[in-house]
Amino acid sequence: MLRLIVSRLIFMVLAAFLLLSFLFALFHLIPGDPAQLMAGDNAPEHLVQSIRAAYGFDQPLTTQYFNYMGKVLQGDFGLSNYSRQPVLDIVFPRIVNTAALAGCAMLLAMTTSLILGSFSAMFWNRPLDKGVTVVSLIGICTPVFVTGIIGIYVFAVWLRWLPIGGMSTWKHFVLPVATLGAYQAAIFTRMVRSCMVDALSRDFITTARAKGAPERTVVFHHALRNALLPIITLFGLGLGHTLGGSVVTETIFNWPGLGRLMVDAILSRDLPVLQGSIFFFAIIFILVNLIVDILYTWADPRISYD
Amino acid sequence: MTTHKKRVARGVAYMAAAATINAAPLFAQDMEPQYGGELIYAQSGEKFSLFPGRNTDNGAQDIWLNACENLFEINEDSELVPVLAESWEVSDDEKTVTIKLREGVAFHDGTPFNGEAVAFVFNEAKEKEFIYMSLLEGFDYADAPSENEVAFHLAAPFAALLPNLAYKPLCIFSPTAYQEMGEEGMATKIVGTGPFTHEEYVKGEYNLFVKNENYWQDELPYLDSIRMLVVPDPATRTAMLESGEIDRTVQISDFDLPRLEANPELTVRTMASTRQFYVVLNHMKAPFDNQDVRLALNYAIDKAGIVQSVFAGTGATVPMAPTLSPGVYGYTDMRKDGEDSIFQYDADKARSMLTDAGFEDRNGDGTIEGEDGTELSFKLWTRRGGTKGDYQVAQLLQAFLGEIGIGIDLEVMEGAAFSAAVSQPPEDAKYEMALLSWGIPTADPDEPMMYFTHTKAWKPKGANRMFFSSSEIDRLADLAHTTTDQEKRKEYVVAWMAQLLEEAPVIYLPTIHLTLGSRSYVHGDRILATDNYPAVSAWIDQEEKARQGIKR
Repeated sequence: MLRLIVSRLIFMVLAAFLLLSFLFALFHLIPGDPAQLMAGDNAPEHLVQSIRAAYGFDQPLTTQYFNYMGKVLQGDFGLSNYSRQPVLDIVFPRIVNTAALAGCAMLLAMTTSLILGSFSAMFWNRPLDKGVTVVSLIGICTPVFVTGIIGIYVFAVWLRWLPIGGMSTWKHFVLPVATLGAYQAAIFTRMVRSCMVDALSRDFITTARAKGAPERTVVFHHALRNALLPIITLFGLGLGHTLGGSVVTETIFNWPGLGRLMVDAILSRDLPVLQGSIFFFAIIFILVNLIVDILYTWADPRISYD
Repeated sequence: MTTHKKRVARGVAYMAAAATINAAPLFAQDMEPQYGGELIYAQSGEKFSLFPGRNTDNGAQDIWLNACENLFEINEDSELVPVLAESWEVSDDEKTVTIKLREGVAFHDGTPFNGEAVAFVFNEAKEKEFIYMSLLEGFDYADAPSENEVAFHLAAPFAALLPNLAYKPLCIFSPTAYQEMGEEGMATKIVGTGPFTHEEYVKGEYNLFVKNENYWQDELPYLDSIRMLVVPDPATRTAMLESGEIDRTVQISDFDLPRLEANPELTVRTMASTRQFYVVLNHMKAPFDNQDVRLALNYAIDKAGIVQSVFAGTGATVPMAPTLSPGVYGYTDMRKDGEDSIFQYDADKARSMLTDAGFEDRNGDGTIEGEDGTELSFKLWTRRGGTKGDYQVAQLLQAFLGEIGIGIDLEVMEGAAFSAAVSQPPEDAKYEMALLSWGIPTADPDEPMMYFTHTKAWKPKGANRMFFSSSEIDRLADLAHTTTDQEKRKEYVVAWMAQLLEEAPVIYLPTIHLTLGSRSYVHGDRILATDNYPAVSAWIDQEEKARQGIKR
């Protein structure tokens, strides 16, 4: 296990640096000039040049690359091209905000899907199962921005129960978490149901029932434990999707998260902020995968990394 | 010195031609302004540095105008009014403009506002090539003849100097703060003389301004603070306004306006902006070098149809003059009698002009060909969301030009890539047609005349990305640039517009409107002709706010 963790951490550092180099190259290959953006479409060339000089965009690419990577090795991710604030000061609060949103949404999605998926499997092909299937299909087919806008108009504009933008109180969490969580819950429910239906049809379930085990024990102890392996994988992937997909939710609910920061950085060509954001995004992804691998050994003792 | 001394405060005839503007009254007539409270204002956000010397972004301008003031302002009636200036004098040779400054004004850091400070800002702007220097062409240097005077020394007479000084990025920041913090420090904190001090900046989230207790205008401002939220999504901004989470916002979707107007707890105001859509035609590529073809393309577009379909009939107006909009000095309605816009839509006329120019459907396939059989088919470059409705306008252009047999392929580009692609010199410019918009933030025609259509303004030197050249257009622009006799200048401006209608360097399209939505308890809001929304005289009716159940 220790070997797995160490090797993954080494891999994480290598992957992150490769990613930074790739991003640097990509960012300079795609069309778009931050100085031109700042100056505006109509600015004369000499003024665009003066911005390039003022912000160091006119240095050779190799100089910019080695300066940047050298600083990153010392933990300095540079300054935002525009606000001139340290990238870490900008990115860290955003990571916390996005983690709070994605974490709560995942918790909601996992809890809901485990309950609904299990009951759906227990009552397979009966009205409850069909009802859950219809609701989850509607959830899957409804884009997050539609759910979000409907939620805003019903609960914030008409009823005025909940706020729309920001994240200063628990009330601010309700709509974005419900919007993001509901979508994931719908996907998870379908998968949990499928895994549970499969598990419930296995021979050991028949044996458990033959021994006279209560149905609750059969479902939640024997079947769910055996269905957990694919479900853990699914939740791991789901967390990645939730983090990546949070940008839409963050935009609709004006949530000051990492997704919105990255979109703004791309549109304004703020390379240091974008690189810093993606670097930490990648670290989170790798860590989540590591946790998923560790959870496998807990869910299925037959799996061992030693 | 002193020939024609002008007392600005008496009311300036300078910009008198002005404007058909729909501004609502500043105050509810029968109510006394109330002090206190925080105004929460949501806008799409500043994208770049907050330092005025490196940014012309509209979002940032709304931030500066709370904390950093200009010598002059162009108000909602398109009049040039003094702010930190009191009056001005022009020398006999018209190369020195001396501005008397308001006394008893201090920057937020406590340092005095005086001639030396103003001279420092503009000399620094020239030395460091601040982004707005193209508006001060011919500016040589500034000095302070006395404590409360600043003199601008020019290489040649420059008629647009004063209105250009009203452009928000030319606000007077504290030289002391600038020297202490540098451009980097001022990228997140602006120190000026404005009614509010800039207290807090959180990138991408909000800016907080607190009342300047030492503000030079007695009894202003009324508000204790302004919190400017960054809310990029217009639908979210609108919902936040409706729910009472914010007090005012801008750039509301035209299709939301009827619903908001029907809500008695909201006030929605609309006025024409100076931003006009146009299609750049690259004159380096045939057949756009052919004046008849360019005229035909202008007649082929149903401008009124665009206003109805894309802007719900209220979010824009048809173009009534080339490039200039109501509110810009010298603007004159250039429509022919009985016509609804310049180049009133006439598809038959467009077809016949193309036929006369040698372009017609020779093989009956519905597409026009040239004499050599080459189909008239072009790529139209556009952004999506750079300016409201841009992509939808491009789609309608495709349909209208298709109707007369011209094939159009839309090429949608991301904002930064588009900006770079349409900023190339003639030898590198790949575009045939590109949809852009032009705003005139100084409300003066000098910038469009000198930087949009002038031969010496070909990209990358200016904004003439058509690579259009006309000796008559250049001559009229040069005359208007240097003539300080305002009546004469207006004549040149009108002649310039008439010549543009003759030569049609671009396809002229509608001018969009600005919208300001606020809760009905907010009074004293203003929309300037320069597309800015100051809150210096805004106040909140606390009783009405409580009645509406807004508890913050």
